[in-house]
Amino acid sequence: MSAVLARFRPRSGVQLSQEQVVLLVVVALFMVFSFVLDGFLSVNNLLNLARSVSALGILSVGMAVVVIARGMDLSIVASMGVATAISIQLMQTQASTPVALLVGLGVVLLMGVFNGFLIAFVEIPALFATLASGLLVYGLARTTVLDGLIAELPGDRTFVRWLGQGAVLGIPVPILVFLVVAVLAQFMLGRMRTGRFIYAHGDNAGAAALTGVSVRPYTTIEYMLSAAIGFVGGLVVAGSVGGLNTQVIDGSLVYDVLLVVVVGGISLVGGRGSVLSVVVGTALIGVMLNGMTILNMNTHEKDIVKGLILLSALVLDNRLHPRDEETVRQGD
Amino acid sequence: MSGSVAEHADARSESDGDQLVELSQVTKTYRGVHAIRDVDFGLRAGEVHALVGENGAGKSTLCKILAGAVRHSSGEMRVGGQTVAFRRPHEALEHGIAMVYQETSLVPTMTAAQNIELGHEKLLTRFRSLNINAQQLLQSMNFQVEPAAYVSTLGAAKKQMVEIARALRSQAQTIIFDEPTAALTPEETLHLFDVISDLRAAGIGIIYVSHAIEESLQIADRVTVLRDGERVATLQAKSTTRDEIVRYMVGRALTGSRAQTRPVTAEPARRRKVLEVENLILGDIVRNMSFSAYAGEVLGIAGLIGSGRTETAKIIAGELKRNRLHGGRVLLNGKPVRYRVPKQAIDDGIVYITEDRKLDGFFETMTIADNLYLGYLASRRGRRRWLMSGRQRDRLAKEWTERLRIKAINADAKIVELSGGNQQKVVVGKSLVAQPEVVIFDEPTKGVDVGAIEEIHELIRRLADDGKAVIVISSYLPEVLSVSDRILVARFGRTVAEFSREEATQEKIMYAAIF
Repeated sequence: MSAVLARFRPRSGVQLSQEQVVLLVVVALFMVFSFVLDGFLSVNNLLNLARSVSALGILSVGMAVVVIARGMDLSIVASMGVATAISIQLMQTQASTPVALLVGLGVVLLMGVFNGFLIAFVEIPALFATLASGLLVYGLARTTVLDGLIAELPGDRTFVRWLGQGAVLGIPVPILVFLVVAVLAQFMLGRMRTGRFIYAHGDNAGAAALTGVSVRPYTTIEYMLSAAIGFVGGLVVAGSVGGLNTQVIDGSLVYDVLLVVVVGGISLVGGRGSVLSVVVGTALIGVMLNGMTILNMNTHEKDIVKGLILLSALVLDNRLHPRDEETVRQGD
Repeated sequence: MSGSVAEHADARSESDGDQLVELSQVTKTYRGVHAIRDVDFGLRAGEVHALVGENGAGKSTLCKILAGAVRHSSGEMRVGGQTVAFRRPHEALEHGIAMVYQETSLVPTMTAAQNIELGHEKLLTRFRSLNINAQQLLQSMNFQVEPAAYVSTLGAAKKQMVEIARALRSQAQTIIFDEPTAALTPEETLHLFDVISDLRAAGIGIIYVSHAIEESLQIADRVTVLRDGERVATLQAKSTTRDEIVRYMVGRALTGSRAQTRPVTAEPARRRKVLEVENLILGDIVRNMSFSAYAGEVLGIAGLIGSGRTETAKIIAGELKRNRLHGGRVLLNGKPVRYRVPKQAIDDGIVYITEDRKLDGFFETMTIADNLYLGYLASRRGRRRWLMSGRQRDRLAKEWTERLRIKAINADAKIVELSGGNQQKVVVGKSLVAQPEVVIFDEPTKGVDVGAIEEIHELIRRLADDGKAVIVISSYLPEVLSVSDRILVARFGRTVAEFSREEATQEKIMYAAIF
């Protein structure tokens, strides 16, 4: 009869979630850097730090949406880069800013629909579907619409510049954009029906379908959301550096995005984590990158550190959410 | 002098000489809940030792410990006199313990011979010698299996033969059979019994797991009965009876069958036909399934595993699609329906409650309340809401935990922390919040603790009393008999017999399901 009444697992000591572990690491690193590194603990440096990772944070929120739904969007940087470059190129002609932005948004949404179609209807694993679609869209855009490697933002487009370089009450706008995106995404995931379905889809797609969630349309919606959020990140990048170098698509940015998502505690098994995880993950990467820059580490040394962090995050994820069913569930 | 030698030999054989496996006080807990507790168990060479018990009594857990699939939490396990604790199946195999699984564990894309050799390959294995060796092994057991045949093309019985051959290839001294006859025809069962007798004669120890008591008595030397994770008796098969074993298994007086206590439902003429299935066809699995379900009635569907019952239910509920051409018809209240996704069926008032709640029943990251609320959000009423309401969720959770008697500390407990029975109730509740008209249960008490079985049966009855059309698919005959108003028997994708509650017996149903 003991089995009838549910019992909680006896807890030995304090159980920390991955978010909390990472937050502690951030605080510890912050304190260490403050003592050890000259020029780390200054308002300017900290604002600079936050501003520099805002775009990464925004892209990571987009990625988080699909990872929570047990997906993966490796094309997020490609859609972002291509759409932003197309928007900017339109601005170089006489198109008004809203029109140019709407066209960019249209491009990323189409990209989301295409990914959703490949994954939900053709049933290709998300990892490979988005890897291929990213290559495809970048190649297509470069050979047809885009004029050059770098799309330069015309000087009169003040709104986009403001997104990247402006400040409100002394706080750089990119940070504010990141916060707004984070709050909206958290509202959608945590308070809206759509968000609940996304978690359900990531937790157990079969159960979600039997419960009455239309899993295939939802997959498409998830990739559209992720791409749209990524586009916002692209605009922030374009605003802050005055244009977009499409070579970023070939770079390692997408791995940084994954790093942020996984480090923060959004498990690759799906259904776990929240936008807060992304914020915490972004904070960790921001502090790390800033510290490493002050330490004058080169790209390869930074890669070693990032690789190690990603690996430890994956190990932690594996420990906290073991895939071995026997240890997770009881009964026979 | 000679007498003392004989005595000595006897003592040896009693203690460790022929003792293949010995468990003492073995316990396995999952998250603080006992799956088995302080179980003693022994197996001698050349003995068939049957393990019987109800669903959830701990039979599978015990076997998994022996076969190295899970590790026991405490207690001692000795194999060949040596204390062991297996961390993976491979270690059990090295100690001569092999398991023949209920769902076969063969690689379907390999041939029979390749499967037999799997794990024993040398750096270079010659195809010819592989087949010849497999052929010899199969023939030595009188198995009619072609070594070069791909496993995916073999039937259930032949797959089982390959598994047995594989166990012998790895020189197993102990072979565990988990519900070996579940998917076999009577002739195949007889053949299996011959095989088991041969293995016994060859000095191999056999653990035979089954919930069919007669079968266990027929084949076994000793029978151990488990109940609620504890060993309640070990009996000599020759000197015990079915009734004695049932008493040990149940541990209480059998409650009066509900068939006598329940009032007779409305007269047939006045019953309202809700669901009608005509000549449903899906590939080779569902072939011409036809039946009707009425409001206020529990329709039981009995049959063997693989008789197409689950697939039929999934077609009705939109989870599977029937053949596009000549796929038959499904009528809901006289109107033909064909669903692409379960959502459409749920909107029309048809819900399917899965047979495997871990696989596609509940959401493991969520609480009881969230699981129930998700059912509401996905229903026709809930879809109008864009925002979630914590108040509404809590009200819903309170209402349904009370109605279904879900036992948990509170509704914010994670569903994985519940017992199987309570998890099942949450899964049922998640479907019922959509206010369905037709409820299809698939193996509603599989892996459910004994206490909750009765409650789930009561719940099924109440649903019918409330005027819903209820369909219960179950391979467990006592369940079908006690809960149904009308019983269908399915075989090879067809309905082959129909019994009223009064005329149905286990024997009649079994006969219809097999022959």
